[in-house]
Amino acid sequence: MSGFLKIAIRNLLKGPTTDPYPFGDTFIPQKLRGKLKVDASECTACRTCEEVCPSGAIKITKNEGAYVHTTWYNTCCFCGNCEFFCPTGAIKLTTDFHTAHFQDEKYSFVTVAVIKETECKNCKTKFVPPSEALLKRAYNGIDIDLDELKLYCPECRKKIAFERLHLWLRH
Amino acid sequence: MSIITRSPFLFRINTGSCNGCDVELATTAMIPRYDVERLGCRYTGSPKHADILLVTGPITARSKPYLIEVLDELPRPFVVVAIGTCPTSCGIFRDSYSIEGPLDKYVEVDVNVPGCPPRPQAIIDGVAKALEIWKRKIRDFK
Ligand code: SF4
Ligand code: SF4
Ligand code: SF4
Repeated sequence: MSGFLKIAIRNLLKGPTTDPYPFGDTFIPQKLRGKLKVDASECTACRTCEEVCPSGAIKITKNEGAYVHTTWYNTCCFCGNCEFFCPTGAIKLTTDFHTAHFQDEKYSFVTVAVIKETECKNCKTKFVPPSEALLKRAYNGIDIDLDELKLYCPECRKKIAFERLHLWLRH
Repeated sequence: MSIITRSPFLFRINTGSCNGCDVELATTAMIPRYDVERLGCRYTGSPKHADILLVTGPITARSKPYLIEVLDELPRPFVVVAIGTCPTSCGIFRDSYSIEGPLDKYVEVDVNVPGCPPRPQAIIDGVAKALEIWKRKIRDFK
């Protein structure tokens, strides 16, 4: 039987091979690098992602009491560098590939995350609270209340850590 | 003379793309799996027949005259779709001395499909949006 007939018969038996999208569901690979998601509660506005982004898609600006993390999809090349280098795992590429949009949305087709500052419990200066993931990494294996530690600015945190060390050495 | 409002013709031009977007675009045109012609449009080899222009690439200095030529040859009204991050904003090639983009410097763009390259399904989304605009433009043109 010729190759053509084989294919014709197979198609008759198995039906169309066309992906039903956009009229139906489509297959999405698990590792697809699509639009990204920023978890504002994990982000510490460290600007690592802004620095490593090869296309300059990420901008972090400082407003009154908050940092604004903006990703402009029209220049992002979906390389995943930001996800790879983010020290807290706040930024993640999702499998959402829907990027088509009308021209009037060109400059508003962005992801925005607002990272709010808090006041230090001790000295009242404004600071971005460290994320749980970051503290766990910094105080790995040390018996300390991380939720309490979150309330202090880096300077006061340093002092507390030093005092702990001092007390521990005296014992 | 009435304008035929069915089966608009697609024409694609590469303005210095790295070929990534072209491969994905070719996928939507030639592989039955993502057959874009299901939406009721057809590819053409001549810009003189085109209703919807698909552009890939960041518009390099070398390719710019060809783009201008194609834009001159398109019959009015037409719809322009930027396929990939390159024609939309020049993407990673922004600020290069040999890049003359983005596309909206030269023509009114209607739809952008960013991605480097965009997934075939995203391109199909973009073409579907372009068809919507094309129908509107034809209606207003009459
Ligand atoms: S995926 Fe790459 S290009 Fe996109 S925002 Fe992250 S680092 Fe930048
Ligand atoms: S997303 Fe990650 S890398 Fe970017 S500023 Fe936030 S913590 Fe830093
Ligand atoms: S958007 Fe990316 S894949 Fe498409 S032509 Fe530009 S560099 Fe290549």
